[in-house]
Amino acid sequence: MVLFRQLAQGVRALVWKKHVADELEEELHAFIAAAVEQKMRLGMTREEALRAARVEVGSVAAIKDNVHDTGWESIVEAVWQDVHYALRWLRRSPGFTAVAILTLALGVGANTAIFSIVNSVLLRPLPYRDPDRLVRIFFNEPGVGLRDVTFSKPELDDLTNRSGVFENVSAIGGGSANLTGVKQPERLEFVLIGFDYFTMLGATPQIGRLYGPQDVVPGFSPNVVISDALWRRDFGADPNALGRTFRFDGDPATIVGVLPPGFRHPGPTVSGDVQVWAAAGFSADPFPKPNRSNNTLNAGTIGRLKPGMTLAQAQARLTAMAAQIRKDFPTDYPAQAQWTIEIQPLQEFMVGNVRPMLIVMLGAVILIVFIVSLNIANLLLARASGRQQEMAVRLALGASRGRMIRQLLTESLLLSLIGGLAGIATAFATLDFILRFVPASIPRLSEVRIDGVVLAFALLISLLTGLVFGLAPALHSLKVEISLAIREGGRGSGHSSKTGRLRDVLIVSELAFAVVLMVGAGLLLRTLRDLLRENPGFNPTQVVAAKVWLPVPDDPKEDPYRGITPKAAFDRELLRRLKTIPGVELAAITTDLPTTSHSLNDPSGNEALSIEDRPVESSEDLRAERVRISPDYFKLMQSPLVRGRSFSEGDEDGKQPVVIIDETTARKYWPGRDPVGRRIRFGQDPTRPWMTIVGIVKDIKSDGLDIDGVPHIYVSIYQNPWGAQSVVLRTSLPASVLESQIRHEVQTIDPGLPVYGVSSMNDVLDASLASRRFSAQLVGGFAGLALALASIGIYGLLAYMVSQRAREIALRMALGASRNNVLKLFLQKGVALAAIGIASGVAFSASAASLMGSLLYGVRPHDPTVFLAVPLLLFAVAVVASYLPARRATKVDPMIALREA
Amino acid sequence: MTSKNIDLVQGTLDMLILKTLALEPMHGYGIAIRIEQISKGVFQVNPGSLFPAFRRLERSGWIKSEWQATENNRRAKYYILTAAGRRKLETETQEWGRQIAAIARILEA
Repeated sequence: MVLFRQLAQGVRALVWKKHVADELEEELHAFIAAAVEQKMRLGMTREEALRAARVEVGSVAAIKDNVHDTGWESIVEAVWQDVHYALRWLRRSPGFTAVAILTLALGVGANTAIFSIVNSVLLRPLPYRDPDRLVRIFFNEPGVGLRDVTFSKPELDDLTNRSGVFENVSAIGGGSANLTGVKQPERLEFVLIGFDYFTMLGATPQIGRLYGPQDVVPGFSPNVVISDALWRRDFGADPNALGRTFRFDGDPATIVGVLPPGFRHPGPTVSGDVQVWAAAGFSADPFPKPNRSNNTLNAGTIGRLKPGMTLAQAQARLTAMAAQIRKDFPTDYPAQAQWTIEIQPLQEFMVGNVRPMLIVMLGAVILIVFIVSLNIANLLLARASGRQQEMAVRLALGASRGRMIRQLLTESLLLSLIGGLAGIATAFATLDFILRFVPASIPRLSEVRIDGVVLAFALLISLLTGLVFGLAPALHSLKVEISLAIREGGRGSGHSSKTGRLRDVLIVSELAFAVVLMVGAGLLLRTLRDLLRENPGFNPTQVVAAKVWLPVPDDPKEDPYRGITPKAAFDRELLRRLKTIPGVELAAITTDLPTTSHSLNDPSGNEALSIEDRPVESSEDLRAERVRISPDYFKLMQSPLVRGRSFSEGDEDGKQPVVIIDETTARKYWPGRDPVGRRIRFGQDPTRPWMTIVGIVKDIKSDGLDIDGVPHIYVSIYQNPWGAQSVVLRTSLPASVLESQIRHEVQTIDPGLPVYGVSSMNDVLDASLASRRFSAQLVGGFAGLALALASIGIYGLLAYMVSQRAREIALRMALGASRNNVLKLFLQKGVALAAIGIASGVAFSASAASLMGSLLYGVRPHDPTVFLAVPLLLFAVAVVASYLPARRATKVDPMIALREA
Repeated sequence: MTSKNIDLVQGTLDMLILKTLALEPMHGYGIAIRIEQISKGVFQVNPGSLFPAFRRLERSGWIKSEWQATENNRRAKYYILTAAGRRKLETETQEWGRQIAAIARILEA
């Protein structure tokens, strides 16, 4: 009520300003009249009474002021006055205003955009019910250095039934599969889940239903749930799609539900969002028998902790349970493996690997906004010196220093607010555009948007910058000496040492921040350059790759490619046909296209290995990646054989099993010996035949240009075929031309096979570096900007000093100083500032660089080249930026300068 | 003004105005005169502090104002104590009494 009255009367006072003032005026007159009457009654004459009353009342204007100041509206008015004045001041210097607002818009805009990504990816909780109780569950064998190993169905059941820490548990398998029975065969991302999955995440269907107790079967459920995107694309958003059956890698799948548009699977995927959810009980065909020894389930597992259970409590119980299980089944859990169960918050698991990159990018944009605001502070300070006289006059006319500071801060805050709003608008307008350059491998990108938190951050950043660059001139104004300033009229020796020191500090910090940004950019760019120069172990030029997937239906009767012979026959026919395409010199098949990212559950990961004549107990740490290739693969990729022979058409089923190993494998398992002719096999199953090593090939960077030292073993695709394969062609034709021809040849053999991911090998390599390129270019761009701003800062400072000290220079020259002396005077100043700024920047970078360690490859955080090149470059730029104004100082004509003084 | 005039204790002017208005509605000068008379000239309230106080009290809803004719048939703004103002005066008076008593005890101790 009181508040309302305050508000109402305040607004009334603002709106009816004249009326309220008149009323007060009349009241005061009535007061004086009453006083006069009273005094006359006491015997004064009219004139005496009037004079006495006036003296008693004092200044009517002062009373009006006092009354006016009691309401909140007076503050509004004062602020409005300040703003009004500030706007006029900004309009008066359009050049400065434009530069300040543009650089601010850039800085705040970049901050807004990057922070919106950081906020959505790292900070916002996952979009599921009680997301902080969701965890990723790992089975680890720390004794042999293995994480996330395969597991058995009984182990999965232990999590649900025995551990007592989970409300729900769901294994998450999957990958991609062929979708047929729709218009055009498609390659789709799918996940294989437990029946508890949707309950665990708290998902609700858009139409139809999700999995419930009635679905539970030991093997695969015939029912699937599809995404909103798939429903719209392939079924025209038709509600009758429920109950429709399509083929999924050959298996019939019936749609029972459609998820809402916003729902996304909480995990990494191979090539886009998950479109199909299929569920299984993981205990009957085609899954292995549920024994502990059948620990071949290959799935990431997610669980929901019981309410009130902390991560530490849950972990402690799981560790204890794992120990008990090891004790209960000693034969299934070799002691040296130290098999155990670990959990990690799901969000941490999903975004943990992009955190360093995002933090570095956020750091870069915050640094740039600092530099921008230091730069503006510098400009403002230069102008503040010019405004000394104005300030002095206003002080002399009775303005309080507090009021002056408020005025200056209002100007700065207004500037920063305008710049900030421009920046936020820029971010809004360009966010979609920016996101196109953000590597798709960053999780949760689809959730990125500018929300209240981002806006608050952007406004905070704007206001902070406003305070930073507003404080300098405000502090400066405190030093104004009225008499001096007015007398000197801002001319003469207007360079006060106080301002000088403040500006020096600003320049030095600007340079130091620039160094930090440039060092970061240098390290990232060097990493990128090293990776681009890295020899991938093959020649990617004139190679086109495409993916073809032979389906693996769960029902053997549905599988036209069951067993080795039909797959091998398909591959031979495919290669024969591909080679007939005009312009194709060679064609080959691989199951592991270099540098294409592996899905979470890629079965071609590290496999256990046995080596003939080697004691079994050491077999635990024998591992290698298996790559299946066709005979021409090495020839096509131009990967040289070091020893032995390549595969031939004759290395097929029924013949002696052969393998080719890479140099890493040879070095790792046969150091100093010749591996050719020795025999190995995958797994520890003694009934499987030994495979003879027939050759050694140079290392190929299969897993990514930045991943070294993984042993690879190549086998012939005719002896050991695999459904997920890529064809590679050596050709001078571009991928776009070949795409339809490759699809034609594949679908002539089998119209149900999709062809996807057709691109040149160089593009494949490029794409594998997308996120590194993005962060390097972003930080690099900002480093360039920082360099420019810092050099402008130095230039501006010295140019200002030269103009302020023209008389002093003239005097020195008149007294015999040479032009060289004058040049040295100013150069020295610039060089000294640069040296201090650069030195502190280098010191700071050196201590912060190790934070970037995980983003670097082939470059140490304290890379001497970067730490030498950056200071030298910045120093050179600083010297040039100081030389130009210094030279102008030597052009001062003593006669003119002294006469004008 | 004169030497016998002393500054009012911070915040007591509001209370004095409320007390004065508790008898009857009054205009600004009337209030000033009444305070001066009753305090036997110890407190002389000048308009510079009186008018802002009126505005403050009005904003807080303790007094309201009305233009009325004076006894000499002039127009003047009369201030009237509201119910809220009466309650405020009561609590202020009690509080003041407590403070005075406490100060007196300290001074006599």
